[in-house]
Amino acid sequence: MHILAVGLNYKTAPVELREQFAFAGQDIPAALKTLQNTNSILECVILGTCNRTEIYAVVDQLHTGRHYIKEFLSKWFNVDRERFINHIYIKENDAAVRHLFRVGCGLDSMVLGETQILGQVKDAFESALGTGTTGTVFNTLFKQAITLAKRAQSETEINKNAVSTSYAAIELGKKVFGYFRDKTVLVLGAGKMSELTAKHLHANGASQVIVVNRTYERAVQLAKKFSGIAYPMQELSQALVQADIVISSTGAKDYVLTKDMVQEMMKKRRNRPLFLIDIAVPRDLDPAINELEGVYLYDIDDLEGIVEANLQERLKEAEKIEVMIDNEMIAFKKWLSTLGVVPIITALREKLLTHQEEMMRNILNKCPDLTEKEIRMINKQTKSMINQILHDPIVRVKEMAGQPRSEEALKLFIKMFALEDQLEEATPYQEEEEKSYIPIRRRRVTGQEVPVRS
Amino acid sequence: MLLFQERFIYDAIIYIYALSILLYFADFLNRSRKVNRIAFWLLAIVWVLQTVFFVLSMVNKDYFPVLTLFETLFFYSWILVTLSLIINSFFRIDIFVFFTNLIGFAVLAVNFFSNQEAPPLISQPMTSDLLFLHISLAFFGYGAFSLSFIFSVMYIIQNRMLKKKVWNNFLKRLPGLGLLDLYSYRLNMIGVPLLLMSIILGVIWANLKVPTNFWLDPKVMMTFVVLIAYSLYLYQRVTNGWHGKKLALWNMGAFMLVLINYLISGSVSSFHQWLATH
Repeated sequence: MHILAVGLNYKTAPVELREQFAFAGQDIPAALKTLQNTNSILECVILGTCNRTEIYAVVDQLHTGRHYIKEFLSKWFNVDRERFINHIYIKENDAAVRHLFRVGCGLDSMVLGETQILGQVKDAFESALGTGTTGTVFNTLFKQAITLAKRAQSETEINKNAVSTSYAAIELGKKVFGYFRDKTVLVLGAGKMSELTAKHLHANGASQVIVVNRTYERAVQLAKKFSGIAYPMQELSQALVQADIVISSTGAKDYVLTKDMVQEMMKKRRNRPLFLIDIAVPRDLDPAINELEGVYLYDIDDLEGIVEANLQERLKEAEKIEVMIDNEMIAFKKWLSTLGVVPIITALREKLLTHQEEMMRNILNKCPDLTEKEIRMINKQTKSMINQILHDPIVRVKEMAGQPRSEEALKLFIKMFALEDQLEEATPYQEEEEKSYIPIRRRRVTGQEVPVRS
Repeated sequence: MLLFQERFIYDAIIYIYALSILLYFADFLNRSRKVNRIAFWLLAIVWVLQTVFFVLSMVNKDYFPVLTLFETLFFYSWILVTLSLIINSFFRIDIFVFFTNLIGFAVLAVNFFSNQEAPPLISQPMTSDLLFLHISLAFFGYGAFSLSFIFSVMYIIQNRMLKKKVWNNFLKRLPGLGLLDLYSYRLNMIGVPLLLMSIILGVIWANLKVPTNFWLDPKVMMTFVVLIAYSLYLYQRVTNGWHGKKLALWNMGAFMLVLINYLISGSVSSFHQWLATH
């Protein structure tokens, strides 16, 4: 049994190719079923976002698994193998598990540490769970990946710092005002970037948006989006008296606002703090404005400096998460290694219990006078004896399964207790019938597949 | 006599307090929720121990223990811990808790070396319920002013960083300027009436017990200066719309007056004498 991760993302494939490999949400169950019915594939999960398409699968053999997944991709999206073969990555076993953990934590994302991906991983897993294409391995692995990602978000500060200039402006605004509830935003010059920043501010609670633009019609248009007010350019000074936050991005060659103008304005504003963001190049606002008390002026370079500093901070946090991932890897591998041992233990216990049942029948035949109570007692005592005898071997075989050369040890164990028959009798691995998580103990595995670790 | 158990509790308070502040500092340098939780609970334990200590000495001395230098400073540190715990449960500003308790701890530690067994200098017939109320209200007022001062210091630091465009983790942990301004205003709004009530009670008490003309006592006059400074703060903000840096600086100046009032004028006062002899 092996774990495979096959996919392409923004690092390996250009957007034209990624577009062709995008799963439509409603097609995913059908795709999962098709994949599940492919040779060699035991469990599968499909993760599709705008930046990546990935297939996670438990396969019985690596090379056939790789082959069939590639073939599936080619057929499903109707793209020749040659066209995408150089753009996909294939991760196997430990590398695949680590990859999933890193993806879930946002360490593989375009924006380092973004948290949207966690929801997407969750959806991908739930969709596969609902379709019935996950089993013991992925039910554990994905739950672990999701829990880990949540822990990474809450225990580190990876997603605390803004990594885009418009969010950096929001963060700065919070530093100046603490909150945006009763604040008025003035958008000076209706550009794309100022619109985005105003949108964020509005979403963060800023109560009113005023738009001032050279062409009044555009100002009206933009103001409508925030149910705000549009002022013609001549009334700029009136707008400035009302505003707490100014986002400026006009195409003007000279400064739109000078220090003297703002100083005059501050008196009319009763010295309420004023936060100015100048995202225009060339700049709209005279840098000397920043010298005024209660006025905070940031230009695009300042914002980018903040983004850069925040990115460095995220990198530091990412290192902490890598350590968390290392620990999770150990935990998962340990769990995986004991997986193969479970059917053996079940077989051994069943074998001994069959003996015990037989013995009970013999006793009943030979001593027909036993009372109900005595029978119960004998039954209980003999079972308890079996459990006591089994205790040490079970503990030991679990230990051995986690150690190197576990395969040989397990084979020896099977031989010693003559469990070959029990294990072969068991019905083969039937994934299709399983709709939800089934405890390992009830799972039947054929003889050859028993030593799962390979 | 300070009993053995009181001594023991005082030592425990100092050690646990120090540990709590160290952990807050560690959390401040390298953010960790676990460390922060431990620091918070240690601080809560400090508060419990302080309260126990306070009650014990009240029982032993048979009066509300705010008469000697040691007692008042201990009471002051208790107020700081109490207020910082309360504020922390409303808004989580770890850095504020850290600064407040840095002061609280410094006061306690300095106090450790002062004469803990000094008898109260105000003689028995002079004491009355009025006096205890006067002193405790004054200290609650000073507690509010202290916290307000800390917010203003945070304001000045952050204002400077934002102007200089310094962006680092320290800045990120400070609450926004608008909030700092608001918090220190609110605290002074609480502090001024407390101080005013304390003064009124003090005047009534002095009318009853102090034979000389107490209005000319330096401590009394200085207290009026403090009251005026803080009242002006409120007036400027409400009426003249003062904001931000100017107001924060004013607030810091007013707090300096509080310190001077406490440390210096006590020694030249004719009847606030407990400070002078130690």
